[in-house]
Amino acid sequence: MRKGLAKVATHGLVMLFLVFMLLPIYQMVITALKPEAEAWLVPPSLVPRRPTLENFAEMFEIVPRLPRFLGNSFIYGLGVSLVSLGVAVPAAYGLSRHPIPGRRGILFLLVYANMFAPIMLLVPLYDIIRVLGLLNTRPAMILAGSVFTLPLSVLLLASYFEAVPRSLEEAAWVDGCSRLRALGQVVLPLVLPAMVAVAIYAFITGWSQQFVLALVLIQSPDLMPITQGLYQFFSRSSVRWPELMAASLVAASVPMLLFMLVQRYIVQGLTAGAVKM
Amino acid sequence: MFHRWRGPGARWRARWAGFLYVLPMLLYLALFLIYPIGRVLYLSFFDVTLLSMTPQWAGWSNYLWAFTFRMPGQEGVYFLASLGRTVLWVGLSLLLKVSLGLAGAILLHQELAGRQVYRTLAVLPWGLPWAIAAMTWAWTMNTQFGLVNGVLLRLGLVSQPVAFLGAPVAAFVSTAVADAWIGLPFMVVMILAGLQSVPGDLLDAALVDGASPWIRFFRVTLPLVRPVVLTTALLSTVWTFNSFDPIWVMTRGGPVSATETLPIAIYNVAFRLLRFGGLGKAAAMTTVQVLVVTAITLGYLQALRGGQEGSQ
Repeated sequence: MRKGLAKVATHGLVMLFLVFMLLPIYQMVITALKPEAEAWLVPPSLVPRRPTLENFAEMFEIVPRLPRFLGNSFIYGLGVSLVSLGVAVPAAYGLSRHPIPGRRGILFLLVYANMFAPIMLLVPLYDIIRVLGLLNTRPAMILAGSVFTLPLSVLLLASYFEAVPRSLEEAAWVDGCSRLRALGQVVLPLVLPAMVAVAIYAFITGWSQQFVLALVLIQSPDLMPITQGLYQFFSRSSVRWPELMAASLVAASVPMLLFMLVQRYIVQGLTAGAVKM
Repeated sequence: MFHRWRGPGARWRARWAGFLYVLPMLLYLALFLIYPIGRVLYLSFFDVTLLSMTPQWAGWSNYLWAFTFRMPGQEGVYFLASLGRTVLWVGLSLLLKVSLGLAGAILLHQELAGRQVYRTLAVLPWGLPWAIAAMTWAWTMNTQFGLVNGVLLRLGLVSQPVAFLGAPVAAFVSTAVADAWIGLPFMVVMILAGLQSVPGDLLDAALVDGASPWIRFFRVTLPLVRPVVLTTALLSTVWTFNSFDPIWVMTRGGPVSATETLPIAIYNVAFRLLRFGGLGKAAAMTTVQVLVVTAITLGYLQALRGGQEGSQ
């Protein structure tokens, strides 16, 4: 009896916690489903009285560049993903397999790099991108954005490379495989899940968190990522909330769904103790 | 050391072959992280603005400016006020992150029907772009049409709608709540991972000794997850310190300067206050922030090492 009561109480507390965690997402969903007039009721209705999907059609009229913004974020996500993977895979392999001079220093650098946010490096990044002649271009967003995904990508991949037994690789060498072939045919297939996870993690970050970089690196509305693009409509004096929330829901569902796939791997990468310092 | 290659030549080759793998990453970090950090330090000693990009030597004057400049119409020294505000804001957000993160992780660790669904729902916000999360929070906290006021009014908890973002103190708390919300899934998942790694036989032993659930939690589980909570909190401290999107989107540092934390102030000085500010002055402020982040990172590594030794 007392045990049952405790269970009910625990369920109740979990629900309370979930209410807080899902509150804005719930607000986003119900606003996106409300007809224009209902969004302006005071006090607001807690459940849409006459749910409609018309906002998902009208959002293209309110935010005419919406497909463009989504496309830009897709390109930024893909670019950041490719750069991160291309640089991180060899680095992680090297760190886990070779007695590299200054290994501890490199690992420290990675942990340190993970602490930086775009806002701290905005002035010099703006400077570098300007000198490279890349202001207001897509490569600017991809190059500057990848610095912030690289550290976790390397740490995560290195912990997976560590887990692949060296004997497998050595057996391949004995069989006459070159080191590169052994890497490509024996090791990489085993860490493929981690590589996919890193690719998705970097894609999500490129898609979602380019807001600050876009503030200074991009002027043209045609190159805005989705976060900046929607923000332009948010900061107007009269915000069309139902349409904006419909567009936000579309923009947010991509990274949210992808994130559920890779969350487990990211936790492993963040508990960086896996790579021995 | 683990390599079974023979001869000093081969050994030397192995070292530098290994280095080749890491080289692209080092070059990338050198160009886009190390150089920028150095550039911030360098620029902090120069007069540069967006309008005149040629740096002019300025000595310590940018730092002097940071420690003396008072914004017309505002109380206190601009930089110091924003630094103090940042410490309070980070403290509030972090308090929420750690306490709710611990509570959430403990709840989701209990054996409940539907636990997997609960866990998935609780960390769902993790993938939400911060800027979109902030816009949605602003709308959720809207004075007239927001969900929070809708619920509070219906429950009769308030008689007048609350202007969550309209008054200085309210905006300060509201942005910290939104920021804590953004960082919570990370806290919950990390602490939950820590809870799951508590060995079952230790708890069984305590059970055999007749320890009550409370004793088992406070004497066995909590001490074992303390290192995880500590390292996660330190990591989160740095990220909270750098937090820009929620405040920028929800209040732009306002009302007046109530939510103008260091990242917002740096952005304003660099790119908006063209008359008072400039890139050199922003660089001096950023240098202070880099020092803070470096100090916390060293503490984080210390805690990480302690945690590893403790678990061995």
